[in-house]
Order: sequence, then C-alpha cells, then structure tokens
Amino acid sequence: MTATGIASTPPSILVCLKFVPDPAQLQADSATGRPDLARAPIRISTFDENAIEAALRLAAEHAGRVVAMSLCAQVPPKDVVLKALAMGVAAVYLVRDDERLAHDPLRVATVLAAAARTIAARESLARWDLVICGEASADEYNQQVGPRLAASMNVPAVTYATALSLEGGVLRAERGIEDRTEVLELEPPALITVGTEINTARMPTVLQIMGAGRKPLVELALAELAGIDVAQLEALPGIELLDVFSPPSVRKRIAISGDSAGEIAADLLRRLGIDGEVTF
Amino acid sequence: MTTDRDNQRDGVLVFSENAEVLGELLTLGRQLATRLGRPLAVAAVGSNAQELLKEGLARGADEVLVVAASAGNAAVPDESIPVALCEVIRTSIPTIVLIGATRNGAELAARTAQFLQVPCACSCVAMELDDAGGLRVDRRVYGGRFVSRQLLQAAPRVATVPPRRFPRAENVAEPRGTSRSLSIAVPAARLRTLSINPRSRSQVDISKAQVIVSAGRGVKQMEDLAQLERLASTLGGVLAGSRPLTGDVDWLPVDRRIGLSGQTVKPNLYIACGISGQIEHIVGMKGARTVVAINNDVKAPIHQEADYSVVGDLYEIVPALLEACEKAKGKRT
Repeated sequence: MTATGIASTPPSILVCLKFVPDPAQLQADSATGRPDLARAPIRISTFDENAIEAALRLAAEHAGRVVAMSLCAQVPPKDVVLKALAMGVAAVYLVRDDERLAHDPLRVATVLAAAARTIAARESLARWDLVICGEASADEYNQQVGPRLAASMNVPAVTYATALSLEGGVLRAERGIEDRTEVLELEPPALITVGTEINTARMPTVLQIMGAGRKPLVELALAELAGIDVAQLEALPGIELLDVFSPPSVRKRIAISGDSAGEIAADLLRRLGIDGEVTF
Repeated sequence: MTTDRDNQRDGVLVFSENAEVLGELLTLGRQLATRLGRPLAVAAVGSNAQELLKEGLARGADEVLVVAASAGNAAVPDESIPVALCEVIRTSIPTIVLIGATRNGAELAARTAQFLQVPCACSCVAMELDDAGGLRVDRRVYGGRFVSRQLLQAAPRVATVPPRRFPRAENVAEPRGTSRSLSIAVPAARLRTLSINPRSRSQVDISKAQVIVSAGRGVKQMEDLAQLERLASTLGGVLAGSRPLTGDVDWLPVDRRIGLSGQTVKPNLYIACGISGQIEHIVGMKGARTVVAINNDVKAPIHQEADYSVVGDLYEIVPALLEACEKAKGKRT
C-alpha cells in the first residue's frame, strides 16, 4: 500500500451503482398513497452517473480500467445496465441480493466490501486503487454507503468531491461542504463520493449502445462472494421499514392557466393578494 | 447497588462539529432524555472540542465527554472523529445517538455506525419513542414526495437530524452538567489537507426572508437572474437558488442555496422558477406558507409541492409577473 504502487501501473477503478425507480416519474398509488414502484422506470441513480463519468475521465487520462458493481434484489432492465457499459465501463457485475434481507446501508456496505474483493480477484487485480460512489442515492438518499464501504474496506475516503485528479500516484480531491471547500491529498487505495458538481455525465451514442451488448455483464450470487455468510448478514441489526406514504399535502395545488402570460400573471397576483401574501 | 456509571448509561448522546447545530440537537435530545428519564450527554471532539464543551454545559447537557488524542492531549483530527465517537459510545452506553446532518456529520455518522455495526437513520425530520423503547423516525425519500417511517430497535439507535430542524436549546440559568475526559490513540493520518477555502458569502440571510424568489436549472444563463432579482426586490424579498445554480455553476453564492445541502427556509411566499423539485430542494422549502411553482415541465415534482402552479415558460411568465407587480405597486404609490 505505497504511493508508488499506482504511479507505474494504470489505475483500477471500481464504481458502485444503484438502480432505482426514477423519482421524477414515481407516482403515488391512488388507493394506498404508497409509491407505485412497479410503474416507475428503473434508472441508474443520478449521482452514480457522475461517479461513472469521474471514473472514466480519470481512467482515460491514465490508461486505467473502470468496472462497475451493483447490489440488487432484482436484475434491472437490460437497457439500463447497458447504459453504464455504453458510457465506457469495461464490465458490470450484478450481485443478486437475497430479497428477504433488508436493503439498508449497513448490509449493503458489508456485502459490497466482500463483492469488491471477489470482483478484484475475477479481474485478476490485487486491489482496487480507487472506488467511486455517488454521494447519495436518488431514492433513499441515505448518504451512507460510500463512507460505510470505506470503513468496511479500511481505506481513506473523501466525500462530496467536486474535482478529482491523479498525479504521481497521489490522488487530489476538492471537497465541497456547506461553508467551505477543501483540497485534500491521499494515496490509493481510496474511496471517493461525488455529486453533480464534479462533472456532467456523458450520454452514450447509438454506436456505443450497440457495442455495449458485447461487454461482460456478470451476475454473482451472495454465496459466491468471499467472506460473506448469509446467516451473519441476517443477524446484523436492521432498520424496520414501517411504512412509506405520501404525506397529506398542505398545498392547494391550484393550476393557473390563461391565454397569455399576462393573464396568468394577473390571475396569480390576484390570488396571492386574496391570500395576503402580496400586499401592495 | 447502583454506581455512577449505571446512572449515566442508557441516555441520549448528541454530537455535531457545528456548535449551533449542537445547540439544536440539545433541544431534541432533552425531549427524548426526559421521556426516557435518562441523562443527556454531549460528545466534544475535534479542533473545537472546547467550544462544544462550553456550549453543551451552557445549554443544559448533564454530561460532556471530551475526547483528546492520547499522544500530547491534542485535538482529534477530523478523519478520526468516528473513532473518538465510538469510544464515547462505548464509555457512556447511550440508547440514542443523535448527530447533526451537516455534510461532515452525515459522513462521520455513517462511518461511526459501520464501525459499531449498527444502522443509522439519516436526515430524520421527526422522531418518536415507542412504548418498547424503539425509536420511530420519519425521513423523506423518493425526491421528497414520500415519507419513510422507520423503526430503530437495537441500541445504540443512531440517527442524524438536519440543521435548523429544531430551535437551539436555551442557555440554562445554572449549568449543572459535569465533564469527563477521554483519550484515544489516533490512527495514522491518511488524508492531507492542502487548503481550506471559505465560500464567498452574500450579505443576505435567506433563512429570515419573508419572500423568496428561487431560481433553478430552468434559468439558461447567469444574466437572466437579474430579472428574478428584480421580481424578488419588487415583492420585498430575496433571490435564492437550488443546488444546480449554487454548485454545478456558481451563479449564486452557496449560502443562497435552499435544500438538504443548503438552507432550510420558512418564508411567507416562495416562488420557484425553473426548479424541478428534487428531494434535495423540497426538504429546504417545505416550511413555506404559500408556494408558487413556475416550470414548463408538467411532470416536474415541484408542481405537487405548490399552492399555485403555472405550467409555462419562466421566460414568459416572470416578465409578465414582474410587470403586473410593478403596475400594482405603481397604483398604490
């Protein structure tokens, strides 16, 4: 684990993906008020696309290789997985989760740490120089899997990175938090989490999408992961999900329309006046 | 026989690296500690441990556990705060651990919980004890449009709480809390901080504004913000923005960001212009009394969070609204 380990060899980069029901297209079931998950299209979680992009840019600069992994109870639609491959990821590993197990960050990070080891071995790598995760998932927004995975893999982490570079075997990351930005340096192996600030994720071309079908898409079962004991996973304390519901809206949800922008503006202003929100 | 140690266990422990947020956690922490009939403790760790110690005692904590590095009694560096928190938790055996959900707080809560092999409920907007001692929390999920109600059963129950969710605990007339010193062996540093740059701050405090006009990705160029600023000032308010405009591009200072990673605001009137309404944003503006959404995408979630929603081009609606406001204002003056 020395700084020189990466300087001479191209970096190996692992990206963690979560396939989520697209929150922008998720509707509440009219009868139950619960999210109608079955009808929302599945997509790669937004920040994870930024993670792919950050990995690909670093790999392109240093002739590195990018592999992605995901832990999922159900295999996502093929075209959604193909998008990651079409963007430029060399291989995607899908770890099939046990549906009976809760999908909380403690278990997810524990399984992903084992999956990272197993996939490194399959890729004939001694280690991952860099693991990149989205800073939070678009569905649950826990902001936990990245730092938990770093703890589990015993590697240093920079969360909320807004810029990333690799020079002479040393990683340099800018980190953006509420009141300041920080510039940090660290030696691989390391883990980085990213949001939309770091880049704009590329859209694959039709040719790239067609070519992606030939790239490896590997399914792994929990039992195939080194050092994972399903009984132990079951014994981990979990968070019990009591309910997911659409909170009763306090909003009036009145659509304002009209033949012209002027008409709309006048109607809106009149209503805001009646509500007492505009007082001139 | 009960010892002092027994009297201090099973309580509530709070931590934030931000003294103001720590004060807020003391409000919620005291409510929970009172319900449990157990003590309220503060962990004071990091470069400002002494400030956190003072804040904790002044605002009514029963005990403050101050952690220093065993070598030279120095401050615990940021990257080792989770190690220090684990030590505090092992020592004080709390039943509930609350951590401020700043970005640093979110990271160190996750790392601490992974070391302890326990779950963590993050950014909880409501919290309640059930009769069995479990902690029931509400979190916003799926773009903020749904609430996930979850139950933390096993102790320590770790949860993070967004800044400004609770009022700061008052200073107590006669602080009665005690302090205790702990030390940890700090692991070798793996991160080197090359520089720390404070973000530029604007002169306005959007969290206190009565009227907010807020700009999102629908705004095409920085110059276009001038018109929104004019609308805001005509209404006696201020201009703020969503994450894309205060992060992806620096069109507005980051202290004008509304949302999970920015400010939580409670204006009387909130006008969202070209904002789609991701969870990141909704969490920050939920408390507004009246919400107007102007967005040309009928499917944008912001329309579900609005009292008045205009499905239209902000480049047509905003000038018309500004004109109508100026006209109405002109009549009065």
